[in-house]
Order: sequence, then C-alpha cells, then structure tokens
Amino acid sequence: MQVETTDVVIVGGGAAGTYAALELHRRGIKSTIVCKGLVGKSGASIFAGNLVLSGRALGNSEEQARNTAEFLIKYHNQFLIDQHWARCCGQFIENVYYPELEEAGLYLRRDEKGNVVTSPGKIRSVAANVQGNSGVPFMDLRRKQVMKAGIRRLEETAVTALLRRPDGEVCGVFALDVMRGEFRVVLGRAVILATGYSDRLHARSTGTREMSGDGIAMAWRVGATLANLEMQWWHTNDMAEPPSWQRMQVYPNPMLGSEKSARMVNSVGEEFFNQQRDDPLAYGPYTVQLKALAKQVHAGKARYDGGYFAGFDNCNAAEVEAYTSYGKVFHQLGLDFPKDLVETAVTAHYRQGGIDVDTATMRSSVPGLYVAGGLGGHSNGLIGLATFDGRTVAEGVAADLANFKPAPLPETEVEREARRLDALRVSRGDGVPASAVNNAIRQMMWDKAGVEKDATSLRSALEEIAQIRLDLLPRMSVQRTAPAANYEWLDAIDAVNMVDACELIVLSSLERAESRGPFMRRDFPAQDNKDWLAANLMIRTDNGHRFERRPYDTPFFQPDFSVRDNLEVAW
Amino acid sequence: MSEPIAAGEARRLGQEERGDTLGARNTRFDPGDTVLVRVRRSEPAARSEFRVPYRKWMRVLDALNWIAENEAPDLGYRWFCGSKMCGTCAVRMNGREVLACWEAVEAEMTIEPLRNLPVVRDLVVDRGPFEDKVFSLEPWLERPALYPGFPEPLSHKDMKYASKALDCIGCMCCYSACPVIALGDLTDFAGPAPLVQLGQTALDPRNDPAKVARSLKRTGIFHCVSCYRCEEVCPAAIPIVTQVIEPLKAKTAALVPEMAKHSLALRAVVAARGRVDPTALVLRVRGLAVLRDWLRALRLLLRGKIDPLKTLFPRRTSAAAAAQRLLEGGRRR
Repeated sequence: MQVETTDVVIVGGGAAGTYAALELHRRGIKSTIVCKGLVGKSGASIFAGNLVLSGRALGNSEEQARNTAEFLIKYHNQFLIDQHWARCCGQFIENVYYPELEEAGLYLRRDEKGNVVTSPGKIRSVAANVQGNSGVPFMDLRRKQVMKAGIRRLEETAVTALLRRPDGEVCGVFALDVMRGEFRVVLGRAVILATGYSDRLHARSTGTREMSGDGIAMAWRVGATLANLEMQWWHTNDMAEPPSWQRMQVYPNPMLGSEKSARMVNSVGEEFFNQQRDDPLAYGPYTVQLKALAKQVHAGKARYDGGYFAGFDNCNAAEVEAYTSYGKVFHQLGLDFPKDLVETAVTAHYRQGGIDVDTATMRSSVPGLYVAGGLGGHSNGLIGLATFDGRTVAEGVAADLANFKPAPLPETEVEREARRLDALRVSRGDGVPASAVNNAIRQMMWDKAGVEKDATSLRSALEEIAQIRLDLLPRMSVQRTAPAANYEWLDAIDAVNMVDACELIVLSSLERAESRGPFMRRDFPAQDNKDWLAANLMIRTDNGHRFERRPYDTPFFQPDFSVRDNLEVAW
Repeated sequence: MSEPIAAGEARRLGQEERGDTLGARNTRFDPGDTVLVRVRRSEPAARSEFRVPYRKWMRVLDALNWIAENEAPDLGYRWFCGSKMCGTCAVRMNGREVLACWEAVEAEMTIEPLRNLPVVRDLVVDRGPFEDKVFSLEPWLERPALYPGFPEPLSHKDMKYASKALDCIGCMCCYSACPVIALGDLTDFAGPAPLVQLGQTALDPRNDPAKVARSLKRTGIFHCVSCYRCEEVCPAAIPIVTQVIEPLKAKTAALVPEMAKHSLALRAVVAARGRVDPTALVLRVRGLAVLRDWLRALRLLLRGKIDPLKTLFPRRTSAAAAAQRLLEGGRRR
C-alpha cells in the first residue's frame, strides 16, 4: 500500500475537479486528482453538447440575459436554487469563463467570416468546435492544462472511503488503483469531492460506467447532510436501442445556425413535442419534454422505455450538419438522414440534489470536506456551473487551509477499509456475480423509483433494498480473485455504494410530498410552493436520519402560484 | 491514373463493392440470431468463445457487456461512455481497429486488444506509452502575443485543419493500425494519434510558431508513409493523412526545414527533371558525405546502375516542364 501526502485531495476529474485543481495551482496550493476513470475523459462533463451564453456575454441583449437567468432558476432547478449563487455564477460565465477558456485555446466555433456561431432565440448558446460534442474538446483542454501544470493525477483509481482524523475532520482518501490492484492512501489537509452530476443507478442512465453514486455514499458515511437527493432529471429522447447507446441523445436543443430542431412523435405518428412550439424559452427543453411524454404515456401512446420516436425529418440535412454532430447516430446505423426517425426512451440524467453545501465556499457539513460540481446539491447541470463551483471551492479551501493541519495516517480506519475491500474479492460456491447485483439494483430503481412513483412503489423499493442487503450483498462473488484490473471486484465495491445511495434517494423521494418539474409523484401530483419551495435536507443522526426543510429565498424570480398540478406547470 | 483519395474517403474504399456499407452492417441480422464471439484472453485457461443473442442495432460493446454479465464476469475490457466520446473502448475486431461502442457486431467476431501497446489484461491496454508521447509533444497553445479578449479575431477558415483534429477522442485505433509504429524503436515516429493531438494546437494559427517548431522537432513526422491505415480506422472520421499529417508536414518543412531535407530534395529533383533521379537525390540529401561511399558508387557505375553524366548534365525535357507546372500549381492551390 502506498501512502502519499498533498495539500488538497480532489476526487473526480471532470469540469469541477480539474478547474478546482487549476485554481489551487494558480494559488500555489498542491493538489492530487484521484479519478475513478480518466481525467477529462470519463464522467458527465464530456457530454456537454453546447455552452450557454449567460449575462451580456457575446452581445446578449438585456432580455436574453434575463431569460438565461430565468431558465436556470425555473426550468433547470424549479426554484430549488440559491438565486444569489446563480447570479454570481452568471457573472462568472460572462466575465471570466469564456475569456479563460478561449485564452487557453478552446475553439468556440466560428463561421467562415469569423463570427462566433450561436443558436438563435431567446437564450443563445455556442459550441466548442461542434455542437453535440463540445464537452470532448473542452475536457481535453482541461486534461492538458492539468498535465501542463504538473498536477498529479491518479487515474483509474477508485476512492472507496474518506478518511478522518480522530477529531472527525476529513483528512484524506483510501483508494484502489484498479489497474494495478493496489491500495493507495492520499492524505491532504482538505478533500474536495467532485464525483459528478449523474450516476448509473437506473436501468437506463446517462452516467458513465464508473458512476455508482460513490460521492453520495461516502459523504453520507462521514455524516454529511444531503439536499434534494430526490430531484432527478431525465433525458426524454435517448436511443432506445442498442443498450450501450442509452446515453446517445437525439438532441432537442435549438441548433447553431438554424431556426429548427428535433421533434418527437408518439406510437401512432402524432407529433407531441416540437421545441419551437412547445418550449416557451426555446432552450434545453428537457423538463418540458418529459411532461409532454408523461401525457403520452398516460394516453397509452408511448412508454418511458420506448415506443415513441425522434428525429430531424422537419429539417434540412445540410443545415443540421453545418455545426452539429447530430447526424452521427443516423449515419452510423445506415439510416436515411434526416428522413428517418429513431425509437427513443427516457434515461436518468443529472441529479439536481446531492451533498448540502454552503454555496459561498462549497463547505459541506463535515469539517475538511468540500463538494463541487454536480455532487453539490445546489443546482442542476451545465458545464459552466460546474466550472464556477471549481473556482468557488478553490477559493473556499484556500481561505480555510491554514486551519487544517496535516494529519498522521489514521491507521485503524485504513486497516478497516483494506479488510472491507479484501472481503469483497472472494470466490464463493453459491456466489452471485457483482454485475448481476448491480443490474438488480438498477432495475429496482427503474421500476419503483423511476419517472413516476408513489409511496407504495417507493416503500416497495425500500423493501427490495433491504432484501438486496440481506440476501445478495453477502453472497457477492468474483470469479477471478487476482487483484489487478479486476472489474468484478470494482463492481462489488460499487454495489455497496449503489445500495446505500439508492436507499438515500428513495427515502428522500418519499419525504418530498409533492411533484415538481421532473420529480413526479402519482400520489402528490401538485407542485406545492406553499410547503415545498424548500431544500429537502437529510441529516445523519446517531440512530439513523431525520429530514428538515430549508426554504429558498426568491429575490429575483418567483413562482406565480401557490399550488398547481405539476403537469400543467410549464417548468 | 487513379484519382487521389478525397479527404475522409479512405474508410469507405471498397465497402460498396463488398456489400459492406453501414446500412448493410445494421440490417444483416434477424431477431433470434446469435453472434459468435471469440475473445483473446490473457490467461490461457479463461473461456474465450461465446454465443451472444443478437438484439437490434447491437454494438460490439453490447456483445462484450452481455458476455461479462452472463458468461464471463472476469472479462477484462475498458469502457466509460458508450457514446463515442471517451475513446477508451477501442479493440481489434476481425483484424481491424474499431471503437466497441460504435461498431456494429459481425456474425463471427474475433476480438483482440489494440496493438502497439502493452496489454494489461484481456482487452485492456496500458494507455501510458501513448499518453507519455502526447505529453512529450506539449500539445497546448502558447500565445506569441497578449490574448485580445473574448471573442478574439479568428475564422473557421483559419481553423480548417485544427478543427478536424479537435474531433479526436484519443481512442488510439490509428496508433494500433499504424505500420510505422509497429516497427517500435526503429524510428522516432510519434504516431498518428499523438500527431492528431498535436495538430489540434499546432495547426491553430493562434499558436506561437517557435513553440510549434519545438514540438514538431520531436515528432519524426517524415517517417509517416501516408498509407492511410490510420484514416481508414478512425471512428471519428478524421482525415488524418490529408488534413492533419500532410498540413503538419508542410508546417515542419516551413518551420524546421532540416527535418524535411529528404522531402524537399525529392521535390526539387522532380521539379527539375520530371522524374526521380536517385543519384541526384542522394547527392542533395547527403552532400559531400556521399564521397565516403566511393567504393559502392564505383560498383553501381560498373553495373550501369547510375549515370553521372545524366545526373550532372540533365537535359531539359517536357516531363520536367510538366512536373514543374504540376508542383507549382499545387503550391498555388
């Protein structure tokens, strides 16, 4: 087992983690990025399709600036957001983000004449090189910035536990170097968790292979307070087939350089979503789409797992492909683009909730533990927001660092964690493969805590979780016990986190007795701004947990009703 | 004379004739069909043959996932995104490099790890040597002047080549397919993928030419034989030879001419004579050092392999005029 020490340990190599590392580096603070996948290559950040222009950036009008803020607060977060933080974030994107990225070399797509190409409409966005693929060059740039700065990376290294000093302060991480099959301990004066927006906790989800809710599970184990964990976002038109393409989206967003975008039709060929007509802010219509689909499902004309179609048959191929990658799926299947539509389905996407943080510093409720990006339960997903979190957390940690002393190796905790992991790498006669356990968990979440749920389905989910704990987890088994590049072992480690994270999500879902945006309760169909315009906080106690509500301030934008059927609310 | 290969067309050569178009690859199976998969495993005793039930539009990755979930939980293979973005699931299928998440399955498939990289286990390769090479080329921007602020003056024309290179997902398919990389340490060729990674910034007009020259010096780029294997396998459809390596070679000839000595000499010889005169080429490239080989030259002379008179006193031919016209035309274009 290797033990190493740095100033700050960063868990996660996406938009938030890499930017936090770069900002700490700029301040002369050493950090090590520990990434379960590859820095800038795995996780949610590479999925960024385009980059939203907020504030007055690139000649945005006052109205477009206001629309962008309204969109973030209403359509993306259904008012479950600190509006002061949102304002600071908008200012950052306008004044710091674009110049920083472009100066470092990001190519924001131009036309032949040299104009930055934008999508038209009430909210505008730009693309890094190609719309639909912006996250790839964006994160590749971050990866290279991290390399150039000489920031240490431990890749394909899964953090399995947060380590604490005797006084309870988080002081490092325990990790498994997956390729070598060796344990590592990285000690620091503070830890930043930045494990991302999305998970792979449902039968269909956009979370990449490695995303198993580790951040939620590990933070909860050290006593961090959670917020709005039930607020799950969904993609409405991702490929129904093949399974590995469940993250491949037929993008509904406005297109760069075009007035048109994808449309959706139900099982009998009726159009039920067209962004131009149905999306009042004409941008990122995910919740609007989901509600339109829910009505089709209720009418028996679509299912959440397929039976409806999406495509660009209302557009001209040359126009779609001028600045986007949207045709790639159709071409790869040998379909007639843009004439052919493809069957699509719902996929669990971002989780709006996560670990509760102080949005000025990204401090969690546990000393020494900071959370940035999508895992922080304070907003929903845009790569710009995650980047702003990266900077905020760097400032927060830098200000606090003098208060944290380097810790000696917490030997008891380290030994216990090593024993726990070793016990998961055993072969049993009556064993169940860890991947089968993980699939059972994902199917359970899809069936009982999917798009629409109620107290009965959620309680049944809790029973099934208890059963999985009792019956499946103890029987998990690996076929090959050698530790190096052992993905079965990793699956088994993931399974434990997945069960814990799912239980927390289901409990939080039971607690929120309303429907709001993409969170749909059959037994509480109304959006309730009287009682639930509040953070749903889950707090760890000595003998379990308790819930608390913390109302949100609404200084700039307010919902204009008290209680209303969620499906009748645009956002 | 056959037409030169148009940018990005290398991958499609012969597909139509073989009935192997993308359309065909996605429609040749019926529900209930099975796919026979053979995987090259690291441990000889590990099971390697599987029959996988076909499902609609099945990708190679779906087949691997099915195998791991149903018959060989110990199968070692890497993937993260399943969406042609992370570039980590590349393997060789029936002898060609493919991105597992992107490629349609075939009725019988032999799946092997990428070549030219150490194998960690089963289909998992060590990305380290590739990453080290990319890092050694310093693939980033260094501005010769102060950044003027967002948005800076720049057009898509300026970024024509860099933009293609920016589609690279670092999957290393081309690195595995490259026959020059397969020669190992025999050359100092960086390989197609590292060159594409470098091209992202080296072909960007915002970069400092001195910085670009420094990077290009470490590429061994003229070892590329323009065989188009890289372009043929690139899942991101980057015209690697025509729109990345060729422009990088041109940049090298301009910024680091000593690296391009052979290419520039060849060009000059052809322009002057309308043909390749090997003697003239050797003289231009090696200069006086050639005198050390006088014994060999004598042997060649005796066997009639070289004609010093022809080389020293070339005749003006119509071929030379045509070559000059073509090369000059090429320069104008």
